Amino acid sequence: MSDPIIRFDNVTFGYSGTEVHALESISLEIQPGEYVAILGLNGAGKTTLGLCVNGVIPIMLGGNLEGTVTVDGLNVGDYPVREMAKIVGMVFDNPEFQMSQMSAGEEVALGLENAGIPYEEMKRIIPETLALVGLAGFEERSPLGLSGGQQQRLAIAAVLAMNPKILIMDEPTSNLDPIGKQEVFDMAAKLNRENGMTVLVIEHEVEVMAKYADRVIVMDGGRIVMNGTPQEIFGQVDALAELKLRVPESAEVASILKSRGMWNGPIPITTEPAIAAVNELLGAKS
Amino acid sequence: MSMQAALPVALIPGNSFIHKVNPITKIVWVIGYIVLAFSTQNIYILYGMALFAFLLAPLAGVTKPLLKGALILVPIGSSLLALQIIAPAVEQPWTPVASLGGFTIYGDGLYYGLVLLGRIVASLLIALVMVMTTHPSDLFTSLAKLKMPYTLNFMLAMTLQLIPVFQREVGIIMSAQKSRGMKGSGFAAVLPSFVPVFVGAIERVQQLSISLESRGFGSDGMKTSFRQVRSRPSDWIIGIVGAAIFIGLSIISIMKGLWSLAHVIVFPGTFVLWLFIIAAATFAGVIIVTLIYAFKK
Repeated sequence: MSDPIIRFDNVTFGYSGTEVHALESISLEIQPGEYVAILGLNGAGKTTLGLCVNGVIPIMLGGNLEGTVTVDGLNVGDYPVREMAKIVGMVFDNPEFQMSQMSAGEEVALGLENAGIPYEEMKRIIPETLALVGLAGFEERSPLGLSGGQQQRLAIAAVLAMNPKILIMDEPTSNLDPIGKQEVFDMAAKLNRENGMTVLVIEHEVEVMAKYADRVIVMDGGRIVMNGTPQEIFGQVDALAELKLRVPESAEVASILKSRGMWNGPIPITTEPAIAAVNELLGAKS
Repeated sequence: MSMQAALPVALIPGNSFIHKVNPITKIVWVIGYIVLAFSTQNIYILYGMALFAFLLAPLAGVTKPLLKGALILVPIGSSLLALQIIAPAVEQPWTPVASLGGFTIYGDGLYYGLVLLGRIVASLLIALVMVMTTHPSDLFTSLAKLKMPYTLNFMLAMTLQLIPVFQREVGIIMSAQKSRGMKGSGFAAVLPSFVPVFVGAIERVQQLSISLESRGFGSDGMKTSFRQVRSRPSDWIIGIVGAAIFIGLSIISIMKGLWSLAHVIVFPGTFVLWLFIIAAATFAGVIIVTLIYAFKK
């Protein structure tokens, strides 16, 4: 296995002004090309974990950071966020707060301009990136005149244009309708599979996590409490319920059937295996 | 809701010759207009400049929005003329031409009133034509070319962006407070929304700064620009010719004692009197209509 692209070594962090630790002894390794989903209640430390990767913590948001975070061989905290931007692209949950330009084209261009990409290349990259997020032809539109979902995709495009090695999305689909959510996760999956981009998603949507993620990390009270494949994690319906977290509906149904002795197979976490399982069950009965 | 409509003065998209003129050339003209307007008291020059600026509007296809924007001149103009006629802003002696009730009406007061108004009209019209025909991004790109610091430039552009955002935010918060039974109208209703709007603004700006920094904002090294502003030979010619005319006329005007024609042009007493009555009535009308509108709300 290659060197991890993100490595947390016993990281504890508390925001300044509070006694409570937002992160508590986090040790974590993420390999290049992994698609990792982070799950947890509000206040579990998910966003804080994400902010540690591109150096916003500890550089922009002060606090007490112990332990080391290493990203692509660099010790986070030694480099300004604008330098880390070349490696880590970060999309936040409120797209409107991330818009600063007069047109969508310029919004996407901002990062490229800062990186000193020549005009001719920008002219190629910008329409390509907008098309990738389903906003082809939106170059001249005002970002503030777009719908929430379009803004969200524009915020993602603005980060993707810089072609980062790591893409972190913090509740990227909170403003999107179900189809919009699907599109964002499909796009991230495509970037992950085709370009080998490492994707870190902070999400509440367990169904999509089960479908796309290679690995699910569950956080609670600033600690990592579960860490494994979607199958391993979402199979533990009771353990997640104790953390007040949902599991995919198919897993929930299967676990009820299991508790009543009607199902003994593995717990299906996505729709297709669930359908297969139901067919098998019905076939066995008739 | 269209965000752009929230700003009273904004770009009117178009493809006219004036739209295509380089922003720097336009800046030269606006600065030239202002410098000349404030270095002369010759009303022929002042109103000639105003007329020229106004004639640019149909060429650019912005006549209607220009007239709408120029409505602000009604209260300014009427109050200025009415006050100047009874109390000129120049040294005595003043020439009384008539009297109305307790007021003495001065002929040179009207002249200086027209000079002050002419300066405002000329500068405002040319500035409006420029703003309405220039894409803000092109303007800021051009300013950057003129070695304006990147951060300052960005701040200005950002402010322009945030005005409609905050207008909308105030609207949302006021609606929310009204739906919870808050009484009041006009300014009394706006005041309690200030705190939430400010708190929201701080949060927004912090999030924005993190987002910008995460996209390499403030990186060292060369920056490139996605917006390309071309400067054609015609831009140079228009700019240089404009600058020459404005500088030349300004120098001549200053050497001729601001080129004042106050003692050459003498207005008949009744004309000044009637103009005073009309101006005062217009200004009073503006105030009354505003008050009625404010209380009705």
